[in-house]
Amino acid sequence: MESATVAMGGHAHEEHHGPPEAHQSSRIDRQTLGIFLFIVSEIMLFGAFFASYFFLRVVVDPPTWPPEPFELPVAIAGVNTAILVSSSFTIHYALESIRRNNRTGLKLGLVLTWLLGATFLFIQINEYVNIGFSARDLGFGSIFYGLTGLHGAHVFIGLLLLSFATIRAFRGHFGPEEKDHLGVEVPGIYWHFVDVMWIIVYTAVYIL
Amino acid sequence: MVAAIKQPGWIRGALGALLAAAFGVGLVVILRDISGLPIWQTEQTGYPHVVVPLITAPLGFLAGFGCFDYWLRWAAGMPTIPEDHSQHGAKSWKDYFRFNTDHKVIGIQYVVTTFCFFFIGGLMAMMIRAELAQPGAQIVEASTFNGLFSTHAVLMIFVFVIPVFAGLANYVLPLMIGAPDMAFPRLNALSFWMLPLAGLMFIGSFLAPGGAFDAGWTGYAPLSTGAPLGQSFFNLGVQFAGASSIATALNFLVTIITMRAPGMTFWRMPLLVWANLSTSLLVVAATPFIAGAQFMVLFDRVLGTQFFQFAGGGDVISYQHIFWFYSHPAVYIMMLPGFGIISEVISTHARKPIFGYRLMALALIGIVVLSYTVWAHHMFVAGMSSWLRVPMMFTTLLIAVPTGIKIFSWLGTLYFGKIHTYSTAMLFALAFIVTFTIGGISGVMLGMVPIDIHVSDTYFIVAHIHFVLFGGSVFTIFAGVYHWFPKMTGRMYDEKLGRVHFWGTLLGTWGTFIPMHWVGMDGMPRRVSDYAVQFGDWNLLISCFAFILGACQLVFLYNMIVSWRFGPRAGGNPWRANSIEWQVSSPPPIFNFDEIPRVVGGPYEYGVPGAKHAIMSGEGAEVSQPQPTTVGSS
Repeated sequence: MESATVAMGGHAHEEHHGPPEAHQSSRIDRQTLGIFLFIVSEIMLFGAFFASYFFLRVVVDPPTWPPEPFELPVAIAGVNTAILVSSSFTIHYALESIRRNNRTGLKLGLVLTWLLGATFLFIQINEYVNIGFSARDLGFGSIFYGLTGLHGAHVFIGLLLLSFATIRAFRGHFGPEEKDHLGVEVPGIYWHFVDVMWIIVYTAVYIL
Repeated sequence: MVAAIKQPGWIRGALGALLAAAFGVGLVVILRDISGLPIWQTEQTGYPHVVVPLITAPLGFLAGFGCFDYWLRWAAGMPTIPEDHSQHGAKSWKDYFRFNTDHKVIGIQYVVTTFCFFFIGGLMAMMIRAELAQPGAQIVEASTFNGLFSTHAVLMIFVFVIPVFAGLANYVLPLMIGAPDMAFPRLNALSFWMLPLAGLMFIGSFLAPGGAFDAGWTGYAPLSTGAPLGQSFFNLGVQFAGASSIATALNFLVTIITMRAPGMTFWRMPLLVWANLSTSLLVVAATPFIAGAQFMVLFDRVLGTQFFQFAGGGDVISYQHIFWFYSHPAVYIMMLPGFGIISEVISTHARKPIFGYRLMALALIGIVVLSYTVWAHHMFVAGMSSWLRVPMMFTTLLIAVPTGIKIFSWLGTLYFGKIHTYSTAMLFALAFIVTFTIGGISGVMLGMVPIDIHVSDTYFIVAHIHFVLFGGSVFTIFAGVYHWFPKMTGRMYDEKLGRVHFWGTLLGTWGTFIPMHWVGMDGMPRRVSDYAVQFGDWNLLISCFAFILGACQLVFLYNMIVSWRFGPRAGGNPWRANSIEWQVSSPPPIFNFDEIPRVVGGPYEYGVPGAKHAIMSGEGAEVSQPQPTTVGSS
């Protein structure tokens, strides 16, 4: 009994009805590890669409890419890329602020990130409306909408997670302790993933 | 009534499903109206009026059922109690029909639900065999037959074999590693409740106009992109089953990595834990590929995209590449947890340490890595680039090496062991080794390009897959269910009936699937409801054995139900096993442990004098009296 008590941190003498506290057998906490594994799974989902992209472009090998009448707005999408990439810095600023217990900085960072993300999504929808081809137009159109749409869905999910963090920040949650701002850090990791993934999608779809 | 609507549960769930379905239909109507399309055009457009509600209604049900309540409160910044255990544990049978966060309740929910689908899928198999008993059409039409074998396979794969392993592991894995619960209990409950929805979607496809999906469980494009509405039920059901298994796998990984008891190093983990670790790696990294493939098929069907349409610049073969990049690892998702179960059962009942424990664990990891490199061996005759054939043949044959290591390690464990066969679990484990080896060897045959080309799309394939999936996976599932039945229910099953079930199943499996090798070699095509008269005698024999096999499963069903209710009380450790789940009462206490146990040695030190795996609470080193193992209260 005594030896087990030491391992437990001395809780054994109290009458407790809840579960015993789990032993933490790794330095990484559950939420962070969870989001990293989720991101692995997300990367593979993008992988499925990139595989399709490879087949439609390299294996089918149409004479021109993009096919003749179609054009991609590389410059506008480039500006959009810059917007999304800058949001990675604002979310990082939010996280660093709460680490130093700067609540104003946290709120500012989160709101800015949210606005930048929403702007990205807005510009992308605008691009869809004006681009002049649809997902039905050849394999090219399908995979263009497939990849950018999949990414857009991820931005949307990311914005949803950021909204949660923002609401909580304005309601006075989060603190400088490592375990008290996981609600900012974990959506932040996801947001960085969404950013990096966009750079890959942009490079593959628009530039190459 | 108002209270019943506010309370998470079935009423609110049904209401949520209805509202969400209405929302889905409304969304389609409004979007079509805005785009200036005819609002009720259905068949030419792939039935968006059905497909969209099929996505929203399950989500509405889950929300109404209470799966998201805690998260939404958290997200809105409302007060939440992280240590609220009101949804934990089961006091009566009704608690099994609620959103419950206890891994033990979820484990039983999983196993019972998946066995329901097993029996439905089994009934379909019986109908298939009845139709095939004689040449010509007798019982079902050709198109219904196609729907039957497709649904049979999909039920067995996606809502039986894959999740039943998740269920068994859900129950025993946290106990084995000395954790009070899974890492994310609410996510765990959500992953369970997605599963019956997926199963119902597969079965519900029989009600769709045009019948159930009938493009096989593989759903190859362009067969699937041009199929009637039922195919969309398959596309979406796979998404729910897939999301469920990804979430569970993620949960297992985080649990195993962050929640092991003190002293439980990676090299002290039971092999079942290793097996689930490697399976979960496969699920997390491979399942998204089938999600992607089915999304693309769905888009081709409903949105008119050209992913797999040759005329529109699409690539037909790319479906098979993307699909098999998931689905070959998936066969190991269906096998590795079974390897873990067999290791537990064999070591316990042979009373010997596992032979080559570390190599067993490394072999699992080897299979994980190699399984990503073999996908195109399913496509030797598909018209893919021919240079890919030989490399895929090599990797396919290579993967037999780690699998062979496991077989020989089990044999090494049995060698000079004190083999006890008083448990049906051990009988199934021993039969598994033989049957799976045969199935594995026919797999090596199929890995060779010339043989594969000869027997492609014949009953040889059917024989192989059933030898590895029924004689392999399902045998391990039975072994696992018998092995942990006393732990889960606190009661013993009837050993005599277990034996009847075992011998009947063994005879039925061999009698059914061995002759399929011959008729396959002779060229009888699979997935066709009629066949040449010359195969008539063999098929009658096969069908007879199949009915024996089916009937024996009823013995199992009876045994499980009656023993659960009336069986004699089981002690905490009826098999005298070492791993931690056997050191607590049967069934375990609501929070598993009073204190987290300390692990001091390997899990399989049978017959090693003085060896100990774990020190449980109240059992310190200075206490000389051993804890009584029979704590039979439920």
